[in-house]
Amino acid sequence: MRVLLAFLCLSLGSVAIAAEPLHFRDLYGRGGDYSVIAKEKQGQKIRVRGYMAPPLKAQAAFFVLTKRPMSYCPFCESEADWPTDIMLVKTDEMVDVVPYNQPIYVTGQLEIGTQVDPDTGFLSKVRLVHAEFETAQ
Amino acid sequence: MNVNLVAKSVVTAIAASVMGGAMAADVVQKNDQWFKDGQATLQQKLNTPRINGMAKNVILFVGDGNGVTSNTAIRIYKGQKEGGTGEEYVLSYEQFPNLALAKTYNTNAQTPDSAGTASAFLTGVKTKAGVLSISENVDRGDCQAALKNEVTTILELAEQAGKSSGVITTARITHATPAAAYAHSADRNYEDDSALSDDQKAAGCKDIASQAITSNVDVLFGGGRRHFIPKTMKDGEGKSGKRTDGRDLTKEWVGQYKNASYIWNQAGFDALNTEKTGPVLGLFNSSHMEYEADRAKDKGGEPSLAEMTGKAIDILDNNKKGYFLLVESGRIDHAHHEGNAARALEDGSAFADAVQAAMDKTYQEDTLIVVTADHSHTLTMQGYAKRGNPILGLSVGVDGKGHPSDKPNLADDGKPYTTLSYINGPGAVKGERENLANVDVTDLDYIQQALLPMSSESHAGEDVAIYARGPKAWLMEGAVEQNYIFHVMGYAAGLVK
Ligand SMILES: [Zn+2]
Repeated sequence: MRVLLAFLCLSLGSVAIAAEPLHFRDLYGRGGDYSVIAKEKQGQKIRVRGYMAPPLKAQAAFFVLTKRPMSYCPFCESEADWPTDIMLVKTDEMVDVVPYNQPIYVTGQLEIGTQVDPDTGFLSKVRLVHAEFETAQ
Repeated sequence: MNVNLVAKSVVTAIAASVMGGAMAADVVQKNDQWFKDGQATLQQKLNTPRINGMAKNVILFVGDGNGVTSNTAIRIYKGQKEGGTGEEYVLSYEQFPNLALAKTYNTNAQTPDSAGTASAFLTGVKTKAGVLSISENVDRGDCQAALKNEVTTILELAEQAGKSSGVITTARITHATPAAAYAHSADRNYEDDSALSDDQKAAGCKDIASQAITSNVDVLFGGGRRHFIPKTMKDGEGKSGKRTDGRDLTKEWVGQYKNASYIWNQAGFDALNTEKTGPVLGLFNSSHMEYEADRAKDKGGEPSLAEMTGKAIDILDNNKKGYFLLVESGRIDHAHHEGNAARALEDGSAFADAVQAAMDKTYQEDTLIVVTADHSHTLTMQGYAKRGNPILGLSVGVDGKGHPSDKPNLADDGKPYTTLSYINGPGAVKGERENLANVDVTDLDYIQQALLPMSSESHAGEDVAIYARGPKAWLMEGAVEQNYIFHVMGYAAGLVK
């Protein structure tokens, strides 16, 4: 993580500052459809606060970003429900995994449209590509 | 000796009240607004008569996980949303004349769960955590034993007395609190048949959803569609069911009762004719209904808790013999489990609105309304924030003269902190605490900081409040066992002798 952060500060610092901060939830409209904002910001660099869901596989250049930590209540739920409003974050480097409840800021290029990852079969509707992230300090 | 003492103090009190006006000394603060308000409240309480008739109708409101701290935070939140400083705000049910504290423990648990607590206030006996309306001598999961140890619920008693009944929740209708009203189960997780083993099914154990449609309840509003339809079937919002027995309970419901209807979205809800409809099953989401804060984004559209409450009363009061209605705000609890105070407070505000809807549609002379929580959460309200400080915000105090400051209070680590936080939950992070100076802590998705790392914030074990209005409401007083709630409701409505 520290390596990534240093990299971010050195080479992408200016991009990170330029990227517009957005609320994660504002990308989704009614029934999980894309919001007007999502359509407008398509292709642009944005910065969002969120949480890294526990990784699908150990070594990867992607992770799932959730707006709140992926927690579930053993008393309330017999199984955890995967939220509909999630984001797939694709990084250029291998991801240095952080705990699922560590707030992070992710900066990347917004991509929308349904896509199935050929390797994992993971279906995504909103992606941040060429993304970098930093933990909230 | 003791008797004499009590008698003497009663005599003194009577004498004081009779001669009150003449004896009272003039106090210098008598024109202070706080003083006048205090006097007005006193007069109002002195003039509040005990309502002693029979309760034709009983409405029980449960704010799941809405402990006393949660309730205070909701009060301030709602008051601030309506433009005030917040602290002085009065939630709908805080106008009720009678109040008690409930001890919430389950027979095997110091800090309870919603299944054991709901069983207590709906059947009059405490039981184990995790089980629904069966007695405490059954092991959780032993469904054969549960069949012989079912205990009668207040809803069943109301039905036996010829009254109508309804169950409303923003959680799944098969979830612990609502299910305890109409079902009996050795495990709260037996929401559909896929959770039962072949042996259990062969022994005659029934899943909760299947009990819902055979329980004589007239109005069921909530989430949980997936437990009513087969795995192979998709619901109105495109989500698959979970049942493995191939049954479509929504269809069975409609075929089973005269004028019965099944609805699943706002349009169906709006189209209900409350004067003509038979039993209604309304399942507005595959799992839980949306949090109030996210409701506008639901695909099929969902009614609010207040709308569901109002409509249910309009349907149930067609029965001249009255009704029993359980209304649960099921997701105050879920938001707290997520460590997400903003959603808990928004759902709590909607809960207060639902109670108001019931107050508007009923008369206190014939309808007992009880409002309570099943258990508390670890939410804490701390630090020395100034009057009117945003309840979700950073703690900002007063200066040396007691005037409002604009700089956040700092903890000993030099960083600001929020007024609301949790003792445990997902908000706890390893290492350094995040500096909140530049974080929008009032954001809807903000997770409050916590001490102990836990993926799900936990329930808490302290007492919860009970508020009551209507016939025999005055019996709600003192620190009582949670199962006492049933006894007051049963006595007031003449259902238990
Ligand atoms: Zn809970």
